[in-house]
Amino acid sequence: MTAYDPCSHCEEMMQPYMDRVVTDVERAEAETHLDGCAYCRKRYRFEEKLRQFVRQAVEQEPMPVALKTKLAGLRTPLQ
Amino acid sequence: MSETTREPDARQLATEARDRVRFEEDALALSDQVYRVARHLVGSREEAEDLMQETYARAFRSWRSFTPGTNLRAWLLRILTNLNIDRGRKQQRTPDTQPLEEGDYFLYNKLEASGDGASDEDRVVERLSQNDVVAALSEVPHDFRDVVVLVDVGDFTYADAAQILDIPIGTVMSRLHRGRRILKQAMAESAVGGEEQ
Repeated sequence: MTAYDPCSHCEEMMQPYMDRVVTDVERAEAETHLDGCAYCRKRYRFEEKLRQFVRQAVEQEPMPVALKTKLAGLRTPLQ
Repeated sequence: MSETTREPDARQLATEARDRVRFEEDALALSDQVYRVARHLVGSREEAEDLMQETYARAFRSWRSFTPGTNLRAWLLRILTNLNIDRGRKQQRTPDTQPLEEGDYFLYNKLEASGDGASDEDRVVERLSQNDVVAALSEVPHDFRDVVVLVDVGDFTYADAAQILDIPIGTVMSRLHRGRRILKQAMAESAVGGEEQ
């Protein structure tokens, strides 16, 4: 039960790895595992696609033009 | 011509007016990016619009406290998140007991299992709709959502998010970790239903 599971470890490291906040050693470790493990590699690629998808989804709703006009109207009047 | 004795003052005023105009133009140029974050920090478009107006009104009033050359987008977002918290968000604050969240592979596993057997990551991600994402984001408890939205929607670094929210960077990391998992769990429920596995 307590045996080291490289895929669970990879799952834990996935987000920090994608955020590039891991050490060089951790990065190399993750890349070695991803190179050799189709299960984790598939999930890693999915995570990359998901991040793009989330970004696109939130960009679907641009700022209303009327709001932009209102914000400009808040400016200090020129004297 | 007759005002030559007051020229230094006039020049100072002109400089200040120019700086202020530049500040206002720079802030307005960022409004689309600020709105994108605002829209997903709060539950509705109306709230986001109110929050944007309050934020810009305050920013234009206190423009002198902005240090030129520093990150104006982060400065605006700091005003915005503070106003958002002031707007009674404390009442909605979620208790410490969060729902159990799944691991990072949970969403993929759920989507893969729900489909036609295809496990290609492009096909799997297509099982989500944009509405799933937007609806799921609004379900993430506020403290976690703030961090997820700033980092994943706003593209802020951990350090910027820490400064904007006035929390330690370690808290940003732990909330981001947890927030993303809650988000994925909500997306899975939205896309394939929340039935027990």
